Order: sequence, then structure tokens, then C-alpha cells
Amino acid sequence: MTALHPSPGVPARIAAIATHLPSRVLSNADLAAAFPDWPADKILDKTGIRERRIAADDETALDLAAGACAALFDQAPQWRNRVDFIILCTQAPDHVLPTSACILQHRLGLPTGIGALDVNLGCSGFVYGLSLAAGLIAAGTAATVLLVTADTYSKYIHRGDKSVRTLFGDGAAATIVTSEDVAGGSIGPFVFGTDGGGADRLIVPAGGFRLPRSAATAVEREDRSGNVRSDDSLFMDGGAVLTFTLREVPRTFRALLEKAEVTPDDLTAVVLHQANKFMLDALQKKIGLDDARMPRRYEMIGNTVSSTIPFVLEQELAAGRLPVGSRVMVLGFGVGLSWAGALVGF
Amino acid sequence: MSEFYEGMAEILDVDVSEVGPDLELGEAWDSLAIVSTIALIDEIHDRSVSPDALAQCRTVGQVEALAAAAE
Repeated sequence: MTALHPSPGVPARIAAIATHLPSRVLSNADLAAAFPDWPADKILDKTGIRERRIAADDETALDLAAGACAALFDQAPQWRNRVDFIILCTQAPDHVLPTSACILQHRLGLPTGIGALDVNLGCSGFVYGLSLAAGLIAAGTAATVLLVTADTYSKYIHRGDKSVRTLFGDGAAATIVTSEDVAGGSIGPFVFGTDGGGADRLIVPAGGFRLPRSAATAVEREDRSGNVRSDDSLFMDGGAVLTFTLREVPRTFRALLEKAEVTPDDLTAVVLHQANKFMLDALQKKIGLDDARMPRRYEMIGNTVSSTIPFVLEQELAAGRLPVGSRVMVLGFGVGLSWAGALVGF
Repeated sequence: MSEFYEGMAEILDVDVSEVGPDLELGEAWDSLAIVSTIALIDEIHDRSVSPDALAQCRTVGQVEALAAAAE
């Protein structure tokens, strides 16, 4: 490797990752029963997804976040008393206010003398969270950040919309980002991108203050593909999102290589946001890396939004495929439209 | 355009021998087919076609014309 430029200042690394899933399963057979023209083998062939987990009616993203943190402190209890900042990335908060991260601090029994804030981002959220955590550490503002990603898109999805119901699953991940024992670990550099011009391509139109929920926003409509939704539910323009992804992800991949002054051969792995098999196949062809260096994890969990990247990292770390000295590119993209890439050293 | 026809045959779930400019896209032309066609044209031509324009297409020939006109 010729060069790598992590964030200047106090260095940081990822020290531990744990994940959590709700127990309810939505299988392809369940979907095929609801949508007779959408057979289970076709769902698997197109999306690569067999099952997705769905939060219970009374189970929120904050509950999943607490579950991921409990799993993290169970496997790595030494970090519990060192956390001095919580960053919670979610788009399904318990309340409009207060901040979910504040509730999480209390739920976890963490001391009151720590910082906590929410980040409202979707599929780019983990990489953004890494950048904020690394920035807090670099500036000496925090030493050990608990970065939590948690979402329950299922609560936004209309039961009659097979396009998004097939893809998204609920889940959460908790990651320790710390300045302690950094050794070979590193975080950065980063590349970011934003195009709010595509905000309406992946959106829950109603429920905020621009368009409060009402009887009118609850009116259901069927689109030309037979999907039913209302303005209260999640809408995704799959074509527009794919077009944006095929344009920006390879560009960001190259920009990050250039910024870090490394080549693809210097990377142990490239972990993309796990949108679905179809999109990852298309991106892998454009990026031109082999299967071994583009690990995946969606078959049994679906697209868990901001948690997909830590789900893959957890899998690869557990399998011993990211030994000390590994260099990994992480790249998230989606709702916003928003995208972000980073290099992470283990 | 054989690679394109092979891809369109798979997307429309028909035999490749049936695929030609006059083939009607018909009922199979749903959002998944349109997304698949965007990926197909990107892979073959490294070109980006408008999803909205694709949605207006009624025949394979119209899709071909759109792909040829794309930048």
C-alpha cells in the first residue's frame, strides 16, 4: 500500500460490533401467499433475499438499538464503562422529541456525564456515523463512541406494496469506535455525496410538518405495477434509485481510492450497503472486484438500511476474514439522496 | 444487439427467438422489468436511460431506440 490518510488528530478504530434482529420472520413463502404473481423462487432469484425480520407491533427501532447494545456489552463488557458519547442513527424514532439517543442512554444505564445525539440518515448512515465518531475522537471531544444504527422501515411500508416489502427488513447494530489501543486500526479518509434533488425518489411523504397525516394522506392508490400505498407509507422509485446508485457508487469508489492514494489491490474487502442482490450484482460488475472481496449479507435479513454495513463487518470479523492489517472500504448510499464512503483499517 | 435481446428475453420471461423490435412489452413491463432494463443497458452500453422514459415504452424497439439515444 502506498498511502492512506485517516482523519488527522487523535486516531480512532472500530473495536467491536454486535447486531440485533427482531424475532418475527417474513419469508418469501409469506410474500408469495400475499402476492400470487410473485412466486417465492422469483423473489429469491431477483433479490437474493429469503427472509427478513419484522419488528413486533409494540417493538421500535429504539428497542432494537437497545438489543444490539446489550449484545455488544455482553460480548465486550470492557467497553460499557468507557463509552462517553452515543450516536444513534435512525429514521424511526420513538417520538418527534425527545432525542432517541437520550432515551437509549437511560435504557442502557450509562452515566449521565456522556453526550448523546440522533442522526437522521438511512443507508449512508453508518458511514456518516463513523465520520462523526472519528471526528469527535480526533478533536479530543470523546474517547469512546457507541455508534448505533437501528431502523424499522417495516412500520412505513404498506402491506400491499410488494416492491419495498420484499426488500427491507428491520434490525440494529452497535459499534464501538475508540481511541484506545488503536495499533493498526484506522478510520478515514471519507468521501461524501448529497443530492436532495432526488429526495422524492425514496420518501415517506406524509407525517412531518410539510404534509401532516390526514384522511387525505391515508387514501390508498395502486400503481401500474399493482403495488398499493398511500402518502403515509414508504415510496421508492426503484428505477431512479438504481440510476443514481450506478452513477454515484463507482464514482465514489474511485474518488476514495484516489483520496487515500491506494489501489483496489490494497483493499482486503469492499463492503457496500446491502440493498439487494440485483443492485449489488450490477455494482460489482461496474467496480470489477471478485466475490471474495465483496462480501454480502442479505439472504436471511434483507436490507436493514443503516445497519447493513455493520452486519457484514460483524460476519467478516467473526469468520476471521478481517485480520489485523486489513483495509476495508465501506460505502453506503440511498435515501436523501445521500452517499458516503470511507476506508477502515482493522 | 443480441446481448440486449438475450437480456430482454430474460426480463420479459420469453424465448430469445421471440424478441425483436416489434415485440410488445405488455403486462410484463412492470417496475421490476424497468429496473432490470436500466441495469442491462448500463451493463452493455455503460449508458443511463431515464426510468420515466422507459416506463412510456410499449415495444422492445422503443427501448432499443432509447438506449441508442442515451448518453
